[in-house]
Amino acid sequence: MKFEKRQIVWAYLFLLPSLLGIAVFYVIPYIMCVYSSFVKGGSFAGLDNYIAIFQNSAFLNALKNTMIFTTIAIPSLMIISFLIAKFLSSFKNISAFFRSAYLMPIVIPAASLVYVWQLMFDDYGIINNILNSLGIDSVHFFSSGYSMVMIILIYIWKNCGFCVILFTSGLANLPKSVHESAYIEGASSFRTTIKITLPLITPTTFFVFLMAVINSFRMFRESFSLFGTYPNENVYFLQNFINNNYNNFNYSQLSSSAIVMSLIFIGIMLLFFTYERKANYME
Amino acid sequence: MITKIKEKLKKLTIKSALKYSLLIALTIIFLLPVVYMVTSSFMSSKEVTGMLDFTTGEYASFKLIPRDFSLEQYYKVFFRNSEYLSEFWNSVLITLPTVIGQLIVSALAAFAFGKLKFPGRDKIFFVYMILLILPIQVTLVPSYYMYQKINLLNNVMSIILPGTFSAFGICLLRQSVRYISDSSIEAARVDGASYLKIFFKIILPQIRGGLIALALLTFVDTWGVVEQPLIYFTDKAKYPLSVSLSVSTADISIVFACGVMFMIPALIIYFLGEKNLRSSFSRI
Repeated sequence: MKFEKRQIVWAYLFLLPSLLGIAVFYVIPYIMCVYSSFVKGGSFAGLDNYIAIFQNSAFLNALKNTMIFTTIAIPSLMIISFLIAKFLSSFKNISAFFRSAYLMPIVIPAASLVYVWQLMFDDYGIINNILNSLGIDSVHFFSSGYSMVMIILIYIWKNCGFCVILFTSGLANLPKSVHESAYIEGASSFRTTIKITLPLITPTTFFVFLMAVINSFRMFRESFSLFGTYPNENVYFLQNFINNNYNNFNYSQLSSSAIVMSLIFIGIMLLFFTYERKANYME
Repeated sequence: MITKIKEKLKKLTIKSALKYSLLIALTIIFLLPVVYMVTSSFMSSKEVTGMLDFTTGEYASFKLIPRDFSLEQYYKVFFRNSEYLSEFWNSVLITLPTVIGQLIVSALAAFAFGKLKFPGRDKIFFVYMILLILPIQVTLVPSYYMYQKINLLNNVMSIILPGTFSAFGICLLRQSVRYISDSSIEAARVDGASYLKIFFKIILPQIRGGLIALALLTFVDTWGVVEQPLIYFTDKAKYPLSVSLSVSTADISIVFACGVMFMIPALIIYFLGEKNLRSSFSRI
């Protein structure tokens, strides 16, 4: 690549505010965090802090829940959104009203809807009322393993419309001829979707995935407004662990748990990144 | 022949009827919780308290229309609850500067990442992508100590500044910037236009949709902020509504009106920017 000197100078000038801000508010705190995760009482401690948190049952539980949530909620959200987007694109023309309606949930702040969820999911709420009238036993959404189900359902409800919009845009950009030729050759619609549509919309899928991950962190807000500071052990996430322990826990161990959490998400991201690269390469 | 066509037509209408009912069912699922909150906000305080009292052992039933329509909740929010309005103001004080700051910083950087060539560009952008997927909690603790040292605890700046410099806007706007044709920029360069002029005259007008979409998403995100105030704000009077609505159990009789009032600014911005949101995402 050839660079033009003037352009380089201007590029860095345009970047300057962002570079400074990113360094001060994100990179330096992260490096401080890495540093203190290896230090105990002022001296280098190797992996001691990491070993300590992996012996902490509250941390392990939070780690487990975060993994469960991430591996179930994010793929489900992506699959459901894709199916709805396919469904919407099967209509010849569809009123903008529907797409607007689907986007609505992401706009509503978590704090606004707490009592609606309460009304629906409480032991004596509407859902249990319906279940009981169908002869099914009550489900304790606020105090059992079903709390995770509730959080995942709310996560999907909230983010689905947004991902649907992203997928519909991706599908609309596909050239029509691709599908037609596959159709003529007699490929089933399922096969066309898997073999042709999905690889072609990989950039969209990557962006949807990114948004799904970022928005999964925001579920802390829903969880906090529903369960308060101390949710039951089934929905106690790493976010809760760090938010709750910052003042009564030792700083080094908290740092190492933050590093573990960041490594998980960086790992997931890199996995997806290589997948995208591969798909682009094949194209 | 005719019966065959009739049969086919019948099949077709059954299929499209099924499709439309599925469409309507989906729409109801997405809208119902919101509609439910709005209609419940017109219940009297007594009715709300009764509805949210789960200790009686009676099941809540689905009730979309209030028994007696009343503006009591709204009246209480505005005239009997001075905290509410000051917390609302706290939310505004945090959100507006964050949105403006994020727009300016992101637009500048997105131009550099999207259209200019400089060494290390892709590597720096990769670091931005990594930072994007780190939960706020990862840097919460070191940031706390940093803000303590520079005296930013209990200060709205501790939320505004990280929000302003979030990498999200850059990733979003970079896509819109890349869509602008290189030839228009080159033509302007040949005419002797400076990069600053190109930014204001060519880039900014063409990424208008992206800017509106970013404003909307940043607004929604910051308006609902919970994580940082919980830790950085020891002074509870500084809490934005997003936090106090989440923790408040003080007055259950006005919760639905509070919820509606809190969501209205987000909804207004949403309706203003929704078209741009959809069109700017068609470019990703």
